[in-house]
Amino acid sequence: MVFRSNIWPEYLFPSPLGVLQNLDSGFRDGSLFIAIGISIKRVLTGYMISLTAGLTLGLLIIRFSYLDETLSPLLLGFQTLPSICWLPLAILWFGIGEDSIIFVIAIGSIFSISIATLSGIKNVPPIYMRVAKTMGAKGLKAYTTVVIPAALPAIISGMKQGWSFAWRALMAGELLSPKDGLGYALTIGRDLHDMNQVVGVMIIIIFIGLVVDNLIFGKLEYSIRYRWGLTQT
Amino acid sequence: MLKIEGVNKVFTNNYAAANTLDNVDLTVVDGEFVSLVGPSGCGKSTLLNIIAGLERASGGRVLKKGTEIKDAGPDRVVMFQEAALFPWLKVLDNVEYGMKIAGMPKQKRKEKAWHYLKMVHLTRFASSYPHELSGGMRQRVALARALAMDSDILLMDEPFASLDSQTRSILHTELQQIWRTTGKTIVFVTHNVEEAVLLADRVVVMTANPGRIKKEFRVQLARPRDLENVDLAFVVSQIMQELKEEVEKVAKAEYDSDWSLEKSTFLPSPNNNMGNGI
Repeated sequence: MVFRSNIWPEYLFPSPLGVLQNLDSGFRDGSLFIAIGISIKRVLTGYMISLTAGLTLGLLIIRFSYLDETLSPLLLGFQTLPSICWLPLAILWFGIGEDSIIFVIAIGSIFSISIATLSGIKNVPPIYMRVAKTMGAKGLKAYTTVVIPAALPAIISGMKQGWSFAWRALMAGELLSPKDGLGYALTIGRDLHDMNQVVGVMIIIIFIGLVVDNLIFGKLEYSIRYRWGLTQT
Repeated sequence: MLKIEGVNKVFTNNYAAANTLDNVDLTVVDGEFVSLVGPSGCGKSTLLNIIAGLERASGGRVLKKGTEIKDAGPDRVVMFQEAALFPWLKVLDNVEYGMKIAGMPKQKRKEKAWHYLKMVHLTRFASSYPHELSGGMRQRVALARALAMDSDILLMDEPFASLDSQTRSILHTELQQIWRTTGKTIVFVTHNVEEAVLLADRVVVMTANPGRIKKEFRVQLARPRDLENVDLAFVVSQIMQELKEEVEKVAKAEYDSDWSLEKSTFLPSPNNNMGNGI
């Protein structure tokens, strides 16, 4: 409708048909598949790094209270920093290329994951620990059998948030330090003034983000909420 | 044998120090069922927590078979007012939890968990999650979980306080039977005197501020007991007499100064117009 009204020229506002055609040809010659594959590989690598680092950081901070006092405000501060702000630093450290993108992805999601881990563990009802103690669970055993399962819902939602941060950071990284990937496809579209491609890639990005959010994290969250009796029946 | 020797507990905050427990001595014989009753704030739960090892006494010591209690342990299982089941585990896994921590082989602990679930009549719900059970059922699972630890001492901190009275009376019967068959030593904290007399061999009345033991009553009634029994009602009224003073003392401290327990012996009806408008 907006397109038909001819307010803007076609190179500024593409027709839906043109976008679809562009997506079709992109999928047909495989270039979009390659871009998607590369982007997903990057985000998975970065996300895995941030998951390991974020969880470890969260657990370490819980374990040592002086870390909590010193690092928690810092974490919060870092979390408010948009991940794209890390890019100049990443480029200077790792050069333009794969490493700097993965670094930005990881750093973009580490903090939300570790903060969620932290608050999840802090909010475990103390009665569970008392029960575990009288049942003879101590130290690491109490940690793995009680504290972590009890904090899991919070940790999962932190992971979900971390994922969306990672996905955004990936795009930022690919836009600014490009060789390939979906962000690069966007840049190419801009350079060639190919509005169809720009919008097409944007749709793909939204689609992938939604699919991962709903299918993976949605299922995970639902199953946990069901176990805990938080769903309405 | 459980021996409590001169246990003190002082809680301090910025303004004052409260003498929650003051020189408490108590001996519990093996296989005995002891109830602690008292007004709120008399430190009965604190005493239980000290026996459990969840809290440390400020002075004095608790001996179990001659060794001093320093930490919480599976030989003194506690059952709390909330069931506190782990929501991420199924009922059967919840009952198995303590045995799993103790490193018991899988087959054996499963059998044992079934045995105790059967004892509380909940085998049908073995693979449910705790949120699918009613409050009374959850408390029964907690009881099965505590029993499955095979500890010789069971500590109960108002375990039935949050249940409705029907469920509670069913659980009273069950607990009496279970205590008979397992021969455990039970220390039972409650504010319900009827409950205490119904279940215990010995009822210990405590005072508040400072928390001391005021009097002990030996309940020598035939078992199984039930609440309608006249003898039981007599013992209850005796203990109530003792307790009333204490409750009033606590209430005086917590309520405004014009409060008195005797005031409400006559309740005037708001519709009573004393013959106005004849």
